[in-house]
Amino acid sequence: MLVGRTKSLCPVCLRLLEAEKVTGQGGIYLEKRCPEHGKFSVLIWEGELSDYLRWGRENNRAEPPVLPRASEKGCPFDCGLCGEHLRKGCCVLLELTNRCNLRCPVCFASAGEGQGRDLPLEEIAAQYDFLMAHGGPFNIQLSGGEPTMREDLPEIIRLGREKGFGFFQLNTNGLRLAAEPGYAKALREAGLDTVFLQFDGLDDRVYQILRGRPLLEEKRRALEACAAAGLGAVLVPVIAPGVNEGQAGEIIRFALAHMPAVRGVHFQPISYFGRCALERSGRPITIPRMLRLIEEQTGGLMTAKDFDGGGAENPYCSFHASYMRKPDGSLRPLAKKSAACCCTGSDDSRLFVAGQWSGEERRDFGPEGALAETSALDEFLEKARRSTLTVSGMLFQDAYNVDLERLRRCYICEVDGERGMVPFCAYNLTDTRGRSLYRR
Amino acid sequence: MEKNYYTIDPLGKLSCAKCRVPLVKGKAKFMYLDNGFPVELPVCPVCGFVYVPEELALGKVLAVEKALEDK
Repeated sequence: MLVGRTKSLCPVCLRLLEAEKVTGQGGIYLEKRCPEHGKFSVLIWEGELSDYLRWGRENNRAEPPVLPRASEKGCPFDCGLCGEHLRKGCCVLLELTNRCNLRCPVCFASAGEGQGRDLPLEEIAAQYDFLMAHGGPFNIQLSGGEPTMREDLPEIIRLGREKGFGFFQLNTNGLRLAAEPGYAKALREAGLDTVFLQFDGLDDRVYQILRGRPLLEEKRRALEACAAAGLGAVLVPVIAPGVNEGQAGEIIRFALAHMPAVRGVHFQPISYFGRCALERSGRPITIPRMLRLIEEQTGGLMTAKDFDGGGAENPYCSFHASYMRKPDGSLRPLAKKSAACCCTGSDDSRLFVAGQWSGEERRDFGPEGALAETSALDEFLEKARRSTLTVSGMLFQDAYNVDLERLRRCYICEVDGERGMVPFCAYNLTDTRGRSLYRR
Repeated sequence: MEKNYYTIDPLGKLSCAKCRVPLVKGKAKFMYLDNGFPVELPVCPVCGFVYVPEELALGKVLAVEKALEDK
């Protein structure tokens, strides 16, 4: 049965194709036919059609990009962002270097290949200025490569703060945080809020497969360093079928045991782009399957119905729930704002993420006068910070399941010196031979 | 026409515009999503009007609301 129509690409030649979403065995499939390379049918949702439709809450609030670039070739071949795009941006990745101290078998950025190149500081300054002129401030994710390979990382964060960006997260494997005393503190003092820590499980077999060597002990030490420095940490597991889909519950329990330093878990079911040593699964991890894994493996401490799709981005790109831990150790899901309001925008999401993922508070609300006494609010805010955990995930698109409807609502962008802001999944998309649409 | 519920004299002292008496420190409660937060704020001893300073509403109170909400 036909569920909807969209556009996609041929995974072999990246040609633009008409695509249909149809019901099939066990779920919803994206189907398309390339005149040269034949038919492709990809599972995009495991489960019932009614659940699929319910998840796809509409959000039609217009949020066009600021100063969009002209498009000649059309979506997705002219990203930058163009006037056809439906979101202005929320989190922007700055790739500071393509050097890396690991050589992961799985890496969307194919880091560590070719000549090592650091983005010059003046180009970073220009990118900050570009972002401010194009709808900023955005949340900034410092990425790479491994950004801690750069000695001037604190200076880069300070520069961004001076230019008016309010939230910085570091996308890292954690090796330097684990190895170098005082490094986490130096980053915190420079203005870093959160460490987005690659954390694929609690079993070194997983790290051996996905990262090329055992890393668990270093991950633990990196987290200790973050906690000591007052940096928030978000555990970021790539979940690959047949490798670590059984680790979701353990990762969540580990996060709960390491609150408040650990502020959240952000799952990234594997996408088959960039350098990827694993074969694409015929049963890729979809949102319902990921939520079922979470529910089963946490023994119902967290349930699938606690979760919602993103409100600002396309709902089929992400899921999230936030919990407050009660004194008896049970979890209470926080009220869903989306239930009462369908108008979540990129700015709401940006501030929400900054609030949930940051480390110790920097806020100062100022004086209230002699006639006010509001310690109950202070106590609650401190308690909330110590007892709130966010569990979320994002399902990146690859050349097999890319859906231009989803792409046009993407608000996670890579900033590129030539093109400007390019949606993450367009930037990282590669064909079956590893050729990229944008990444150079 | 904008209605003023309170006045501030040059020394910053608050008064109730309706009852024309100085506000005093009194008990109040913020309620949000089944949570209650007892606070003390400037109130009118006659009519019970509660003055919520703008920096409190846009600061701590907003932060509490956000802490209770998922996005």
